[in-house]
Amino acid sequence: MSLVADLISILLNGLQQGAIYILLAVGLSIILGTLEFVNFAHGALYIIGAYVGLYVAQGLVVSEGYLAEAGFSDLGLGMGFIVGMIVVALVVFVLGLLFERFIARAFYDRPDTDQILVTFGLAIIVQEILRVSLGSTSQPVNQPTWASGSVPIPGVAISEWRIYIILITALLVGIVYALVEYTDFGLVVRAGTMDDEMVRLLGIKLSRPYIIVFGIGAALAGVAGLVAGPLSPINPTAGTDILVPAFVTVVIGGVGSIRGAVAAGTILGITQAALIQTQIGTYNLAPWSQVGIYAIAAIILLVRPEGLLGEEVDTA
Amino acid sequence: MKAAGVAGIAGLAGCTDSLTSGDGGDGGGGNEALGNYPIEGDTATFGFNIPLSGPYGSEGQDELRAYELAVKHLNNGGGWVDSQFDDLSGDGVVGKTIDYSEADTETDKGKARENARQLIERDNAIMVSGGSSSSVAINVQDECQKQKVLFMACLTHSNDTTGKDCVRYGFREMFNAYHTAKALAPVLGEEYGEDLEFYQLYADYTWGKSVEESMRQFLSEGPGWSEVNSVATPLGTSDYSSYLSDAQSSGADVLLLNHYGLDGAKSVRQAVDAGVDEEMDIVVPLYNRPMAEAAGDAISGVFGTVAWDSAIDNTPSNEFTSAFQEEYDRIPSGPAQLAYAQTLQYAAAVERAGSFYPPDVIKELEDYSYSNIGMGEETMRKCDHQAQRAVPVVRGLPADQIETGNYFEIVNTTEASQVTYGCDTGPAAQCELGPYE
Amino acid sequence: MSEDYELRTDGGAAPATGEDAASANETEQATSRVPGLGGDEGRIIGLTALAVLLFPFLFAEAPVISDIIQGYAGLTTLILIWGIFAMGYDLLHGFTGLLSFGHAAFWGAGGMAAGLLVEYAGMNLPLVLVVVGTIVGVLLAWLIGFLSLRRGGIYFAILTLAFGQMIYFTIFGPAGPITGGEDGLLLTIGDLFGVIPLNAGVPVLTPLGFIPSWLYLIVGIFVVISVAVAYRVLNSPYGLIFKAIRENEQRAEFVGLNVWRYKLMAFVLSGAFAGFAGALHTIYNGAASASAFYWIVSGDVVIMSILGGVGTLFGAFLGAGVYLYMSNILETFVGTLWHVMLGLLFVVVVWLFPGGIWGGIRALRDLITDLIGGGGSEPEAATDGGEPGARAPADSSSDGGDGQ
Repeated sequence: MSLVADLISILLNGLQQGAIYILLAVGLSIILGTLEFVNFAHGALYIIGAYVGLYVAQGLVVSEGYLAEAGFSDLGLGMGFIVGMIVVALVVFVLGLLFERFIARAFYDRPDTDQILVTFGLAIIVQEILRVSLGSTSQPVNQPTWASGSVPIPGVAISEWRIYIILITALLVGIVYALVEYTDFGLVVRAGTMDDEMVRLLGIKLSRPYIIVFGIGAALAGVAGLVAGPLSPINPTAGTDILVPAFVTVVIGGVGSIRGAVAAGTILGITQAALIQTQIGTYNLAPWSQVGIYAIAAIILLVRPEGLLGEEVDTA
Repeated sequence: MKAAGVAGIAGLAGCTDSLTSGDGGDGGGGNEALGNYPIEGDTATFGFNIPLSGPYGSEGQDELRAYELAVKHLNNGGGWVDSQFDDLSGDGVVGKTIDYSEADTETDKGKARENARQLIERDNAIMVSGGSSSSVAINVQDECQKQKVLFMACLTHSNDTTGKDCVRYGFREMFNAYHTAKALAPVLGEEYGEDLEFYQLYADYTWGKSVEESMRQFLSEGPGWSEVNSVATPLGTSDYSSYLSDAQSSGADVLLLNHYGLDGAKSVRQAVDAGVDEEMDIVVPLYNRPMAEAAGDAISGVFGTVAWDSAIDNTPSNEFTSAFQEEYDRIPSGPAQLAYAQTLQYAAAVERAGSFYPPDVIKELEDYSYSNIGMGEETMRKCDHQAQRAVPVVRGLPADQIETGNYFEIVNTTEASQVTYGCDTGPAAQCELGPYE
Repeated sequence: MSEDYELRTDGGAAPATGEDAASANETEQATSRVPGLGGDEGRIIGLTALAVLLFPFLFAEAPVISDIIQGYAGLTTLILIWGIFAMGYDLLHGFTGLLSFGHAAFWGAGGMAAGLLVEYAGMNLPLVLVVVGTIVGVLLAWLIGFLSLRRGGIYFAILTLAFGQMIYFTIFGPAGPITGGEDGLLLTIGDLFGVIPLNAGVPVLTPLGFIPSWLYLIVGIFVVISVAVAYRVLNSPYGLIFKAIRENEQRAEFVGLNVWRYKLMAFVLSGAFAGFAGALHTIYNGAASASAFYWIVSGDVVIMSILGGVGTLFGAFLGAGVYLYMSNILETFVGTLWHVMLGLLFVVVVWLFPGGIWGGIRALRDLITDLIGGGGSEPEAATDGGEPGARAPADSSSDGGDGQ
């Protein structure tokens, strides 16, 4: 139809896709920036958030796996989406704390390649435990009833829920940003990021702010899993698939930079949406949509190895 | 049944002089080792290679139920073994007890091929069945052909399975995209009118491409529709939003969603959520019960074809539905009927051949005519191993009826004679089966 | 963690000169340093050949053993192919400390190159296919390595991951009309030398249970060649420098080595093995597919090489064996639980036993020799001792803050 309608739908689809990347990337990025811990299990937190959210907000029918064999086939509390989101944020936050305390902490002094390996292994374990207990069938997630309509812009076919995803993301990331930039907690965290030795010498204990950073990052990933659910039925491998774009977002944005993650997620989301909806002559660019986000990543990193808003690094 | 006894003896004879020659005669005697033939011991193993996860996971689970039921009936009687298949005894097959191994393809062709190797090399399967994703079926069929083990395709709807990728060791009961388009195009023309514009989204692999091509061909030949655009989406796409936005802004009258399984449920659901259905009529050329369950009331009013459905009212169909319901307390889907029918079809051919020797079984299946699986008169054609059969055209029921657990009504069952095509036309023209041994 | 490299002053291998001064003398010196390889090249090749010959028998045919492990001959070829891939990977990660998550691209590219040759050029001679696969692996690794080595440590891992995925999506999507996309390519692989069908049994040996097929024989010969090449490289001046980089990158840099170039060489070398093994896999499968490029395949080879033992070369074959054993045979007993078990095993090995299975075997052997009280004076003793620590400095290049 009209060019304007096309642009609006590219923008909204792109922002919504970008929002999911951003929710994941902000968590990854602050953990990587402050704790220098690289978490390949971040996708596992996402998928845990999705399942917990489904359980609390709606309910799920399990037809295979250990739970079904044990007689639990119809699970769920059906408490609605808002409650679901609060519970997911809390549960995954606590999981993040436990993860930091009992796993990540043991690896701070080990090579960061070991961090990648151990978290990669944990991601496999989480995914496979979900598979054996809940089955590998995808679970459909309904949109909250209050957001089930479509956007009232003529010529634009987008469901309302996608707008809510963008708003929820903006809100949560805004809160985290304010927390890091404008509070005493944030000051300690930022100082620790720059020179943790100095902060320690000043007599400030960093372990508590650090564990909270980990929890916040985890909670964001969990919420991402929940809000993305209605867009696509969830299954145990969904965390694996989303991990790579999330990392790409972090690296393009610049490690440790929340603003960078937001910028990068937006660029990637819009690139993806634009490529899907663009056609040159009769040749449709849709197959290039995934390639596009990695190509953008490659170009940005060749020009700025430290990422869009990252700090200068030694390119050794 | 006395036929089984005779066949059993013939089978034994086949074993004793199996080293002598390989003339592959019809009697089942004098056959040399081929694939996993001869079978050692008293148990013949079937390999079921099905998607228990991935986009076609729920179809695969229903298939598995049906396979298990078929094996149970082959060994102990029951269901069609007692009522419809005179060749079968309900006491094993040519003197062997039937056992099975299953493997999850994850709807991934690479995994499926690995599974096929496992089933053939590790478990010594004498026959492999399965499918869902034509790309899976074609790869498994290729592996089976290389290993000289029969493949009874279950759910695969691509033209290529019995077209350019057909093999001597593979058979297909399911109709293909060409059949679907031939059956569906006249119905769509009648319902929506002539000279309309349509837009296609299709799953980017052999099946989606088949449906896309065939629908284009028959929609333009029949009701004279013209295509505005046609866009490929990767198999397993999670979010169709951008594709749908583009489709909606094209101004076409009809949107064809050539997606299946979970992908189909997602794309039709997302289309309705985004309000695409307010401006376009949506058609899903191939769907089924699990898909409709997952899509919920988004499927209302949507036309398509199904492999089989419990709503088809004839003796074999009703018998299968009640046997399945008795066992699992649920209504079987189309893929389940295919799985069940194909397993029995193979076993019956083995009984007729009197041995598991693959070339003999193949010859029994070729050009075999039957009417015992609920889809009317059918022929398993010799030239391309494609069953020529009726195609049920369905339409999704209104939302209030969907809540009661009924998802679609049968609009018509297009006779085999109306959708069939010659051995030198359509997909069959590209098929070369190759040798028997 | 970036500061602690200063403290590390262990001996390691510290070549005093650049590559131009690499003398035969140093080569000899290096021989004794390769962990667990001990003896001379001839002995290694002989033992490898013997292992390849006995493996199918022990795995699938031998009376008591094969009954316990429930092996089947069809799996042995696959284990060897993945073993070559994992060994190539270990050349990079085990000997220079670089962790790549993009090796699926080279494995996939080798396989796809072979597939395209068969499909479009009708060239289906197995030996030609593996040569082409290797060359493609080298070229692609050169490109990706060149781009990814701009950053070290975790950034290197993430960059290889991202580039790998980019190639995967390219092969899968835009190149789909050529590569078959989701469907892949179904291939008819030619006979060996145009006369011997690969899947046929080998006279005398197959009936006795030794060599399952001509394909196994070919792959087995390739395994011996691969081991010989890898061994040769590791004992060359190049190998010595790889290890110097792993032990302490800064020091290697300070003595005037172009560390970046050697890292690239190691990356390309492992890419060559990956492409080579990928082509073999296409021949084995009779099909080529874009899914071989997916990043989880990189994860698989990482798991294999680490289970086997980092920096142990032969451990890779054990790692591949354990992985495939679990996914193909253990799977029949425990179902999908095998994958959870694999994950647990992997985490335990990463966390507590960096030496992997090969390291465990060596520790056990040393324990026994100690108990017997015999010759603990072999050169291995030194390397064994240093092993757990050997991985620690692998990242010293990774983060900012160096070079103050």
